[in-house]
Amino acid sequence: MAALTVQSISKRFGQVHALRGVNLKVADGEFCVLLGPSGCGKSTLLSIVAGLVAPDEGSVLFDGRPVDHLSPRERDVAMVFQSYALYPHMTVAENMGFGLRMRRVPKAEILRSVHGAARLLGIETLLNRKPRDLSGGQRQRVAMGRAIVRRPNLFLLDEPLSNLDARLRASVRLELKRIHQQLQGTVVYVTHDQVEALTLGDRVVVMGEGRIHQVDTPESIYGRPQSTFVARFIGSPEMNIFRGMIVHQDMQSWFRGPGFVVSLGQRSFQAGEAELGVRPEDIRTGGPQAPLTSNVQLISHVGSEKIVHALLGDDPITFCVPKDSQLKPDERVHLEMPPEQLHLFRKGIRMD
Amino acid sequence: MRRERIEKILLIAAKAFGLLFFLALVLFPFYWMIVSSFKPLEEIMLHPANLGLNLARIDFEAYRAVLFDHGFAGYILNSAYVSLITVVLTLGLSIAGAYAVTRLRFRGQNLMSTGILAIYMFPAIVLVVPLYVIFSRLGQRDSLHVLILVYLAQTLPVALYMLRSYFRSLPVELEYAGLTDGCTRWGVIWRIVIPLSAPALATAALYTFMIAWNEFLFAFMFLDTPEKFTLSRGVVQLSSSVHLSKQLVMAASVLVTFPILLLFLFFERHLVRGLTAGAMKG
Repeated sequence: MAALTVQSISKRFGQVHALRGVNLKVADGEFCVLLGPSGCGKSTLLSIVAGLVAPDEGSVLFDGRPVDHLSPRERDVAMVFQSYALYPHMTVAENMGFGLRMRRVPKAEILRSVHGAARLLGIETLLNRKPRDLSGGQRQRVAMGRAIVRRPNLFLLDEPLSNLDARLRASVRLELKRIHQQLQGTVVYVTHDQVEALTLGDRVVVMGEGRIHQVDTPESIYGRPQSTFVARFIGSPEMNIFRGMIVHQDMQSWFRGPGFVVSLGQRSFQAGEAELGVRPEDIRTGGPQAPLTSNVQLISHVGSEKIVHALLGDDPITFCVPKDSQLKPDERVHLEMPPEQLHLFRKGIRMD
Repeated sequence: MRRERIEKILLIAAKAFGLLFFLALVLFPFYWMIVSSFKPLEEIMLHPANLGLNLARIDFEAYRAVLFDHGFAGYILNSAYVSLITVVLTLGLSIAGAYAVTRLRFRGQNLMSTGILAIYMFPAIVLVVPLYVIFSRLGQRDSLHVLILVYLAQTLPVALYMLRSYFRSLPVELEYAGLTDGCTRWGVIWRIVIPLSAPALATAALYTFMIAWNEFLFAFMFLDTPEKFTLSRGVVQLSSSVHLSKQLVMAASVLVTFPILLLFLFFERHLVRGLTAGAMKG
């Protein structure tokens, strides 16, 4: 297994900038998740690391050695594709053993590795079938199996779970985590699903528009987003963000939004234009002494709780209430935003 | 209700009639050819309008005469040689060429890609005179190998075109998977692209074989020595000879037609079936 370094990689497809100067370090044995909306360049980055696509600028290093001049074969990485890309004319066993056969591994050893991987994934009974006779979940396992029979420098996974239904996805996610702990491989995992990213990753890399916005632990990505882009992208329902001013008055800082004022408590910030972010689940409803009043517009049930869409001053606001709440549309609700749960941004960048 | 029934019956009857009519139109010449080839000469002379075949009097004499007295055994070998070499060369070159224009980036790629069909737009009749002159001057005209070269110019554009559109339909991820699994570019073509393209390759091979097997114009112009004649050239030679004997020409025609027919029946399954089922998410 190897450590991966990506140095100022840029790639254009015609007029489209897929990647703009991306830098990234992934430690040996780390599970690193690239997270971002569709079209943010994360899959392109993966293809560049694998050597399938040549970057316009920049360099890829394995264990500190540049591999830019090496073919995919020489880089010795294993990749799992979103579409699985199983060889339709080969059986499951042949699919899984193909990489070893191409590397002239003795037959007996191929057989042993394939059976080992099949046991790990629970697909031993499928080894003689063709891909067309498998279900989606089984194909996904075979695609994983094809990657893990080899001992590659890197595992690259490109949205491997996106074609599975929700229940299967959750169970395979757990399995992936278990397999990673067992194999101790370096993994770069691409996804647009934040739940996948936060549950799987040792570190999460949030990408958008060809740039890396934040590289952090799942806790920090959620708890301390470094930009409004990350703040909006992570969390469901989406974080509330208000434009306004930070002002100093009565020995403390306040955020003055359109039609409301919030105390920033003991935290002090430079006065001036700013954006206030607060997650729906951090907002508390209170009695009449709570400082903010909102008008409820719409309530949606999500089972474990209710999500309320309301107006705070002129701006829409979203917050969560317990599932047994009796709140109704057109009611007035008093809200409280605990100062320590507020995120403050200036020009899209976190202020503290 | 009643009217619908009548309409339905009429429609079925019309369909059946149409099918039978065109089937007869297509099959009759073949039937006539085969039946005539099995009849002794005097029967054709006595009853030229007799469509039936007396099974007790089937006669293989015409085939024997055509094959051994008129040199058709040699013509078959010549045709087979020319056709098979043309098929092998066409497939080899068009696989490499079609792969290059679909998957590799190089200068002039678009020009190559669109130029392929432009070559095919020159009719053979335009090319035959200049080529005749060129190869005559080179002193190489009367040769099966030159014929193969000329046939390649006709088969390659179409084979390239067919394979190009098929290669485009193959998911590129399969090739990426092959590359990361440790194949070289040639390995990807040999182990992934070619096995998956079997239907397209069979079609291209059949098409090429048919062109080369049936080709007449160039064979007629280029070949002088009777030992080098191909089948179609031989049939013309036979039918233009003075002592024209009908059942001999018919037997020769059967010999020209049947290999193609058999090939078609044999390859038909492969032409239809797609092979990429199961590769993708599905």
